[in-house]
Amino acid sequence: MLLVLSEEYKEHLAFLPQVDPAVVFEFGRIAVEFLKRGINSKVYDGAARKLGFPITTVQHGVEGLMFLLTESSKLMITDIDFKDSVMVLGFSTELNEILLQLYVENQTTIRSTLTQLAPSLPSYHNLEWRLDVQLGSRSMRHQVVPVVTMLFNLTMGTSENRRCCLQTNPSTLLHLIAVLEAALASMKNNHARRILRNIK
Amino acid sequence: MELSESVQKGLQSAADPSLFDLRSFTVLTDVTFRSLLSAHADPGVLADPGLENIDRVLVKRCHAAAATCILEMVKQNADKSTISSCLEDLTFDAERIEIFWKSYQNSKEELEGVLTSIGSQLPHINDVSWRLQYHMKNGHVHKVNEPFYLLSLNVENSGLEGSAKDINFSCTVEQLQDLVGKMKDAAKSLEKATQM
Repeated sequence: MLLVLSEEYKEHLAFLPQVDPAVVFEFGRIAVEFLKRGINSKVYDGAARKLGFPITTVQHGVEGLMFLLTESSKLMITDIDFKDSVMVLGFSTELNEILLQLYVENQTTIRSTLTQLAPSLPSYHNLEWRLDVQLGSRSMRHQVVPVVTMLFNLTMGTSENRRCCLQTNPSTLLHLIAVLEAALASMKNNHARRILRNIK
Repeated sequence: MELSESVQKGLQSAADPSLFDLRSFTVLTDVTFRSLLSAHADPGVLADPGLENIDRVLVKRCHAAAATCILEMVKQNADKSTISSCLEDLTFDAERIEIFWKSYQNSKEELEGVLTSIGSQLPHINDVSWRLQYHMKNGHVHKVNEPFYLLSLNVENSGLEGSAKDINFSCTVEQLQDLVGKMKDAAKSLEKATQM
């Protein structure tokens, strides 16, 4: 699958062939840093001054590279497809190789960064449990009631952790185990296996 | 077993043959036990024909005293000797003690259940439902291709809210295996505890 690059985008990257390949490599490294840590506009100032280009050109260049890397990582395109997409920009082979190398090295990190942007449900993190016996309460002495207390650690995306403290009795615990084992077994039946195999 | 003054006075009145003859005492005992066990408060519970001829206020006072006394006995898990000595101190004769003890034995287990269920607890899990889904892509990343589970714990919140809430969360296959493994550990330790 090829990337579709607009005319405006090609304009933004038009100044890249005019600089040294080493500089392009440096820009690529800056783009990856920005993807990981956020944009730092002071870097644009320094680079623009050193190279003698206006700041907007440098900014467009770096952002263009960022877009190229994120789109390629999102779609997980193969090396050949990447090379074909980049060829549209009309760069030299050396430049194409640099861009490809940049893509291949950073693909997994960029994908994991992008995954954090995706909407997420509260997800299970950890379970702690303990077994108690209730011996009495205000309204009734002389009790012997076993109780299993469980603490669920759930994460909401990358931010807050939610802790749910819940109780259950032994028979319900056994029922829960049976139901969840059936859930795990449903992954192994033919239907699920066929789908997992064929949707890639 | 300690009972307050008003309870003691009420019980002494119930024991008094001039106020309650044997038949009305039996009816009073039955009515009291029944009212403690019924699910809804019935305002007509004391309108039993066996208690017709007795002063209404007196019947009410004795009923309240008897109910308090019964609940206290169930709470402390009193045995026959404790109950007998307590009632003897309150001028009950042997026949009335016997009537009381028989009704007490019949209703004791149910009353214990009622008292045990009163009180606050942590939210209680009743059931779990699950759904297996396959995550293909989202707006930020394509080709995710990972199966995942959505679990929903049906939780009963006993206490002020009294409503059933659900705790929903997602987990991957490995996380679900981890969860089930830990629950099985809990079940195993439960089994070992019962064999001790």
